[in-house]
Order: sequence, then C-alpha cells, then structure tokens
Amino acid sequence: MAESGVLAESTQERLAALGSVDVVAGIPTYNNTATVARAGEAIERGLETDFGAMRWLIVNADGGSTDGTPARLRESLSGEKLLQLPYSIKPAGEVSIPQSGVTGKTSAFRAILNAARTLDAKACVIFEPDVTSITPDWVEAMVRPILEKQFDFVAPDHMRHRFDGAINKSIISPLTRALYGKRIHQPLGGDFGFSNKLITHYLAQDAWNRDMGQFGVEIWLLTEALCGRFRICQAKLGPKVRDAADGGPDLSDALVQVLGPLFQAIERDAMFWQRVRGSEPVSAFGQAQETSEETASIDVQKMIDSYRLGYQNLLEVWGPVLSPATLLELKRVARSDANHFRIADEVWVRTIYDYALAYRARVINRDHLLRAFTPLYLGWVASFLLEMREANQADVDRRLERLCLAYESSKPYLISRWRWPENFNP
Amino acid sequence: MWKQVNEALTEATRRVITGVANILPGMLALVLAVLGSCLVAVILKWLLERSLRSINFDARLEQWGLSALAEWSPGKSPTRLAGRVVAWATILLGLLVGLGALEAGLASQLVMQVFDYLPNAFAALVLLFFGSLVARYLARGVLIGAVNMQMQSARLLSLGVKWLVLVLTAAMALEHLRIGGDIVKLAFSILFGGIVLALALAVGLGSKEMVSRTWEKQSKESSKDAEESFHHF
Repeated sequence: MAESGVLAESTQERLAALGSVDVVAGIPTYNNTATVARAGEAIERGLETDFGAMRWLIVNADGGSTDGTPARLRESLSGEKLLQLPYSIKPAGEVSIPQSGVTGKTSAFRAILNAARTLDAKACVIFEPDVTSITPDWVEAMVRPILEKQFDFVAPDHMRHRFDGAINKSIISPLTRALYGKRIHQPLGGDFGFSNKLITHYLAQDAWNRDMGQFGVEIWLLTEALCGRFRICQAKLGPKVRDAADGGPDLSDALVQVLGPLFQAIERDAMFWQRVRGSEPVSAFGQAQETSEETASIDVQKMIDSYRLGYQNLLEVWGPVLSPATLLELKRVARSDANHFRIADEVWVRTIYDYALAYRARVINRDHLLRAFTPLYLGWVASFLLEMREANQADVDRRLERLCLAYESSKPYLISRWRWPENFNP
Repeated sequence: MWKQVNEALTEATRRVITGVANILPGMLALVLAVLGSCLVAVILKWLLERSLRSINFDARLEQWGLSALAEWSPGKSPTRLAGRVVAWATILLGLLVGLGALEAGLASQLVMQVFDYLPNAFAALVLLFFGSLVARYLARGVLIGAVNMQMQSARLLSLGVKWLVLVLTAAMALEHLRIGGDIVKLAFSILFGGIVLALALAVGLGSKEMVSRTWEKQSKESSKDAEESFHHF
C-alpha cells in the first residue's frame, strides 16, 4: 500500500488496476526534454530484451516540467507500459534549496518507491534522465542481482577515466568505506536498484518529509541500507556521460551539497560506525570495461594557486577546525614548489575527519565551513595529479587503495575525538 | 559695633556648622552606600563568574555561534564580561542610593534621567552586538567566496564589507544614544561613501587585470579551462 497523500487517488486507482509487476524502472524528470527520450528508449529496450517474460513497468515521476518532458518520453516509448505521475518539487512546509539535476529529487524518489511498493515489485531500479550514454544492458546489470542473487541494494560502478571523480575518490568512497565498512566504489553513482524488502524499509522512515537535496537523498538511501545491514552489491556499467547543457553546480556548491549530507549522515549514524572495524569488499557483477588512458590537459598550477590563496586568507576559518600539526603541514605544502607539492594521506584524512568533527560541533557556520573546504580539496587534487601524472590505471588504483587504508587506520582518531571532544584543543 | 560683629560671626559659624552637620550624615551615607555596593558587587561578580564557569559558559556561547562576543570581552572571556557588567551595575545602583541619601530631590531627578536614557542605551548596545555579529558573518562569507573565485583582493573586500557594516551599526547606535546629532550623520555619510569609493576603486583596479586576462584568453582561443576539462564528480 502507498503512503497516504503521496500518490494522487487517480494514480492509486490505476496502480490497483495494474495489479502487481516484477520490475519497476523509475525515471525522475524535471525539464529533461533533450535527453529523456534516449534514456526511456534504452530502459524500455533493456526491459524487453532481458525481462520480456516478466511483468514490468516504467514509472516516470515528473516535477512539473515546462518543456514537454513527459510528452517527449511518451512519444519515445513504443509500448503502453508507462505510468506517469506528478510530484511536488517542494515538500509541504519546506523551502526547497535549488540543486543541480532533478529538482525535488526526494519527492520524485518517494513517488517512484511508493508506486513500486503498491505494485509489489520484486525489484525497482531508478535511472537519471540526463545521461546520454545509457544503454539497454544497464537495466539487466542493475536488476539481475536483485532478482537472482537476492541483493537488496545495487550501486552502479561506472567506467571512469583514472583521474575523473576526484570528490568521490578522495572523500566519499574512502570515507564511506572506513566508517560503514563496505568498499563501494561509487556511493553517489546516481542510479539505484532496490529490492522489495528495502523499499518497504525506506518508506517506513520519516526522513521523507524534508527535501534532502540532490545528493542528500542518495547518501540517505545508501547509508540507510548500510546501517540496516541490507545486502549490497555493485553493477559494473559503461561510462556515464551527462547532457552538456546541464553544467551542474560549481565546485564550491557541489562540495557543500555533497559534504553537508555526508557529515549529517555521519552524525546520525554515529552509534553504527563506531562499532565497525575494518572493511570488506562488496560483490560486483557485470563486465569491467577498459577505460581511456587519454589525459586531457589539466591546469594543475591553477589548483595550486587556489590552494595557496586559500592558505593565505582562510587560516581564521581553518584554525579552529584543524589541528596544529595539520596546519603546520598545510603551511609546508603551501610553501613548496610544484615538484614537491604533495599532501600526505595522513594529513588529508585528518583534515576530513577534523571537518566532520567541526561540522558536528558547529564550530562556525556550516555553510562557511564547507565552502572554505574548496581550496583544501583543490590542493589534494593538484597533489594527486602531480604524483600520478605518469601512472596508469592500475597504479592509480593502488594509490587510491593506500588512501583508503589511511582512512581506516586513522579511524580511531575520529572515534576518540567524537567521543571525548573536550579532551582535544585545536 | 564689636558686639554686632561678634554676633554676625557667631551666626555665620553656627550656620556653617549646622550646614555641615546637616550634610554630614548624607555624605557618610553616600560613602557607606558606595563602599557597601562595591562589596556587594565583588561578591556578586565572584558568585556569577563561578557559576558561569561551572556550566562552561564561554564554550557554550561559542557552540551557539556567539563567538563574536568573546572578541569584545575582557580577556576574551564572556564570563568575565558578564561579571564586570553586574559589578558596575551594582556600584551604579549604590551610587544612586547614596545620592538619594545626600539630596533626595537631586537623586530622584538623576534616577529619572538615567531610567529615561536606559532604553536608548540598551538599544544601542543590542545594535552594536548584532551589528558586530552580522559584520563578522558577512566578512567571512565574502572572504571565502572571493577566495573560491580566486580573487587576490579577497581580504580587502572582506575588510571593506566588515567596516561598512560596523560603521553603519556605530552610526545607528550613536543616533539612539542621541550623541553627536547631525555631525554623526555627516561623518557617517562621508565615511560610508569613502569606503564604498575605496572598494569600487579596489575592485575596479583588480577587475581591470581580470578583464584583460579574459580577453587575452579569448583571443588566443586557448584550450578549455582547467576546471571544465577535469570532472570532479
């Protein structure tokens, strides 16, 4: 049964008439007319090819697009297996913060999951509408582990250039691994697969009444599955190319949108992650694809300059957040030339942990705190690129594994400061 | 005649002695009231500071985001500030009581004036407090934003914003205190205008380089910007 008030009565009547299905494929949209047809076609073809013998339905939750996105999707699909339902981009009583991607993603996900539960779907997958590289085999890769291997949560593992996704590589993936104990390569992959059991669990939570934002809802879905000890796996997919027209948020905004919900999750799940020791690999399905070795020209000097400018001006913000030893090391890095510009793993990990602690303690305004992180992050990226400029994919993977281990080995530092903050004076 | 002089002197002496005798208890009461209030102030200050320290008041204020208060406090401790405020208020009260004992009319007039002025002084204090908070918040926001935009004059901009807000707040506070009158308005206008002009010049001069660099880049049709060719997500 759907939560009361989430789906319109007419939608609920239509869902009741449909009975039950095996697979629901959700597409949340909001003004995606340029790309939605391609995504819809690929998903429909994938469902027909690999799950033709089963009952399936495509559910499109649209936030009131003004560019004809729902009509474009309807035209692109050959069959009748499409259910379109509107959702409000602003939850009642909430002021929605503008985010990149699908506006009101929380409401869209809630509507799709409600539809899937009403239809008693065994598996529900959700794909982003602005991806131009989606292929039919993505559907199979995301759905099959749920139907055949009884996994509850499928995270995508997209093929990526060895330097791409630095926010994920430097913070999200290793931090999730160290704290929650699961080695998920791309925790914020954007696409999801859920089992019926997990959907029921999600909809029983009361987090849905606030807009969690673009990345907030993704982090919540993942961490909720991790803390609930649901079975998690990864699906290896091809490269993810987004519509160029959607430029996405600028770096500073992106860091705020990602780190804020991540630190909130850490605060919320403190009882869980303090008991987790070490980490374990997560099953991966699908064929790993070769990544391009081509390196685009990247202006590392610009990143170093940003870091130095940050060090010159933002010490008053970093001072109450970071430990004296870390600040001293950051000073050394700021003064070193490009050839010796390196941020050691231990320093970086402590910086991230100190930031999580400062976010929790509200040392300064949280938005200021997260925005002041941008130069530090650019410093790490510059250090990483300079160190790995001649390296191949395998070298980069080994290097990132070392970083992940540094996160794990420094976890006692985070735990002790989390439990006894008064014993530490920065 | 000598008798008359003697009488006049006696009368004058008697009047002075009577006057002194009349004022002496009042003076004594004033001194006692001030001394007593000083003693009470010291005790109250000690008690208040002790109890505030026991609840870790300074750290709590910082946690609540009121760290700016520490900067305005003696020894950067809001606890000490609270102690001093209470002590001086007690001494002031004792002084008023003492003056009342000295001259009832004068004291009541003084008390009336003080209480009449008190709302204005309080409003000015509140204005100054919140003004400093807003100035600090905005200055830090501008500083971080400007650094992230890689502006070399980030600190100058931040300082400019801070002083704009502080000058505005100070002018409003003086207006509430009824100090200065038109001179304050005039000085504020000149100062505010000066800061805006200085900022405009600073940003303008800084932007000149930025604009020329942008044109240079466009004319050369150089490769894509570093941020664009690198995918952070």
